[in-house]
Amino acid sequence: MFIESRELVMRHRIPVSKTAKFWKGLERGKVYKTACRECGREYYPPKADCFCGGEVEWVEIDGRGVVEAFTTVYTIPSGFERSRPYTIAIARFGKVRVMGWADDVSVGDEVTIRTGQDENGVWKVYFEVV
Amino acid sequence: MRVGVIGVGCSKFGRRDDVTIQELSYEAVKEALEDAGIAQDDIDLSVVGSVNTRGYELMPAVPVNEYCGFEDRGPFRVEAACATGTAAIYAACTSIASGMADVAIAIGVEKMTEIETAVSLAIGGRAGNYLWEFHQYGTTFPGYYAMHATAHMARYGTTEEQLAKVAVKAHGNAVKNPKAHFQKEITVEDVLNSRYIAYPLKLYDCSPISDGSAAAILASEERIRELGIDNVVWIESAGYASDTSNMTNRESFVGLKAAVMAADMAYRKAGIDNPVKEIDLAAVHDCFTIAEIMAYEDLRFCRKGEGGRLVENGDTEIGGKLPVNTFGGLKAKGHPLGATGVAMVYEVVKQLREEAGRLQVDLRSNRALIHNIGGTGHFAFVMIFRR
Repeated sequence: MFIESRELVMRHRIPVSKTAKFWKGLERGKVYKTACRECGREYYPPKADCFCGGEVEWVEIDGRGVVEAFTTVYTIPSGFERSRPYTIAIARFGKVRVMGWADDVSVGDEVTIRTGQDENGVWKVYFEVV
Repeated sequence: MRVGVIGVGCSKFGRRDDVTIQELSYEAVKEALEDAGIAQDDIDLSVVGSVNTRGYELMPAVPVNEYCGFEDRGPFRVEAACATGTAAIYAACTSIASGMADVAIAIGVEKMTEIETAVSLAIGGRAGNYLWEFHQYGTTFPGYYAMHATAHMARYGTTEEQLAKVAVKAHGNAVKNPKAHFQKEITVEDVLNSRYIAYPLKLYDCSPISDGSAAAILASEERIRELGIDNVVWIESAGYASDTSNMTNRESFVGLKAAVMAADMAYRKAGIDNPVKEIDLAAVHDCFTIAEIMAYEDLRFCRKGEGGRLVENGDTEIGGKLPVNTFGGLKAKGHPLGATGVAMVYEVVKQLREEAGRLQVDLRSNRALIHNIGGTGHFAFVMIFRR
């Protein structure tokens, strides 16, 4: 015997003011990391605060990256209902690694970066095999 | 101060439509109390390990604690994703070692099957860093480990057949474990022919969504003497480490750095140089088949990159060089997050007391290891137990 619980819907408003440059950049086709002017540490995903207390600057990521890992997700989680099976890859661009969606990649492939919106309208990074 | 395990209990794992989270918890608690031969009054502190992001009882520690008869000895709740159970053991152990309690119970419980699968997948996918991973890319928990699998296969030539062998071994042991979720043997072909969940991981490479509970009662050496208990398994050492929430900040994808660090810490404290020779069995975190292969390497059961061959050779089967996951593993016994780590303690205690029935291994050094990972190496616990 079962009882149906009352429904609980949670949707969060997430403050992204300190990384606004990144989120706005996606809409203009640019992907940014941050780099600390004091210690030289680089951050991706970008962080507005460096551990060392130094000031960070925003630096565009471009050029070619190398795929280190990937998967194609066939069992789709809720929130991605409109998506077909999708491929997630992690590629290394110099000192940072970036996560993105891609088609037909393998470990070791060289990729370039672009941005775009998925079926849910969310802006994100995409990779294209060179 | 030495801390020993004096009682263990574990529910049947699986789809438990017959019980609430409170009732499920009590199954393990009752068994653990009977096993130790003590009552609630003998226990000073309870620690409830439950992730419970899938539960209707959002803060389960108090309702669970009350149902089990500990309402007046303050639960605290711990959460370390899939390593929550071992975090509960660790918290109970440190509260005794510090002198704050003489006897403590760690209760690990999880009810995962009451919500739909797509929602459960979305919750698991948030087990890294929501904003930079799930929100944008739809990372799922199988997807995280699948990325490690593609990296491992590309670097070391690990094959889908080797991954499948882990699942076949797990199911083979689980059929002899009445508490396991799955009671069916499978073949390598069954695994290879099952549908992809997240390439290269297929349905039979993945642990099931399970309900379950486990409990362990820990006590100080002095109190154990006072209680006159002689059937004790001692906690010899514990290692704990963590890693970044973002996968992109990891050093590599062919192993879990946190597990390597936790293992080094546990081995150092226990004086273990060669784990294959110095421990009799291991319960490792095989939420996905690739996880067990990486565990062999991170725990130094073999050289880096040779994990696939270790399972292929049968070295980790019962009767092999170092039996691993004799209970059926998370893969086939089930993986109710909060219960898993406590259930690993249950399994190794049963083995070290030579009460493991058809799954019993030969004991030489009377030492066993547990390895419990939270998230994709976000948390890692390695503990050594000794009879």
